[in-house]
Amino acid sequence: MGWHEAYLAQARSEELIRSQLKAARVPYCHRLHYLQMVTEKLAKAMLTPAGSSSPAPTTHTAFVRMLQVIKGRREIRGQLGFADASLFRSFIDSLLDLAARIEGLSPDQAGLTHPNPEYPWEDPVTHLVQAPADYNFPQFDVRDPKMIKIDRLVSDLLRLAT
Amino acid sequence: MPVQPLNPLIHNQALSLAEDNRRAQPDITRIFWFPDDQEVRLVELTEQIPVTTEGEALPFYFRAAPQYDLPAPSAIALIRPQEFGHLRLPSGWGDWSDAIEL
Repeated sequence: MGWHEAYLAQARSEELIRSQLKAARVPYCHRLHYLQMVTEKLAKAMLTPAGSSSPAPTTHTAFVRMLQVIKGRREIRGQLGFADASLFRSFIDSLLDLAARIEGLSPDQAGLTHPNPEYPWEDPVTHLVQAPADYNFPQFDVRDPKMIKIDRLVSDLLRLAT
Repeated sequence: MPVQPLNPLIHNQALSLAEDNRRAQPDITRIFWFPDDQEVRLVELTEQIPVTTEGEALPFYFRAAPQYDLPAPSAIALIRPQEFGHLRLPSGWGDWSDAIEL
């Protein structure tokens, strides 16, 4: 197995856990944690050619870059069911801001002062220490249409990836 | 040094992908092709991309999709215009002087 295949395998395994968490009565942070991890592995898979013997380069912007690149990919657009290229472009563009925020959930980006689904942080204004499990992440509202779209897009891209 | 003939299949797909990508992302200002006999390799310049902090161009790789008239695998990197010529290129892509503007 090369690095590309290994990233994909791990992303698919994490996606399975993510789907199980949707039905589980657990704090929302866990779903977000898995969403962030799946997007990271999916993007890393696409940053490595099939059969690659080298890992993906370390980058914190892979998911957003990946979405920007796939805007121009006719095979992905077709497989996702978008007949019109400009509609697909608008669809992806509408999700870039949210994609960047999902990328920002990784602990190394969030640091000790920003909400993230994995480690506690300290609010820089109130100085209250917050545990992810006790925080509802209003900026990632599960009912937000963009969250619903990106959730579906990630699942579809994983299904299509080879 | 003799000039290597360009693979017309790869060249045509590079042109076709460049056209697709310009249409999909109108803020792309320039597109450069790094000729290879097996794979389409493009670097596209746009301001609408995060600054590359890794010191290297980061291409995304796509398999061939003949049913979409993409018979060869391809790799596409988006970089900011000021990064052209300064980032490391992926192994095997040659150097920046090998780039052909499309």
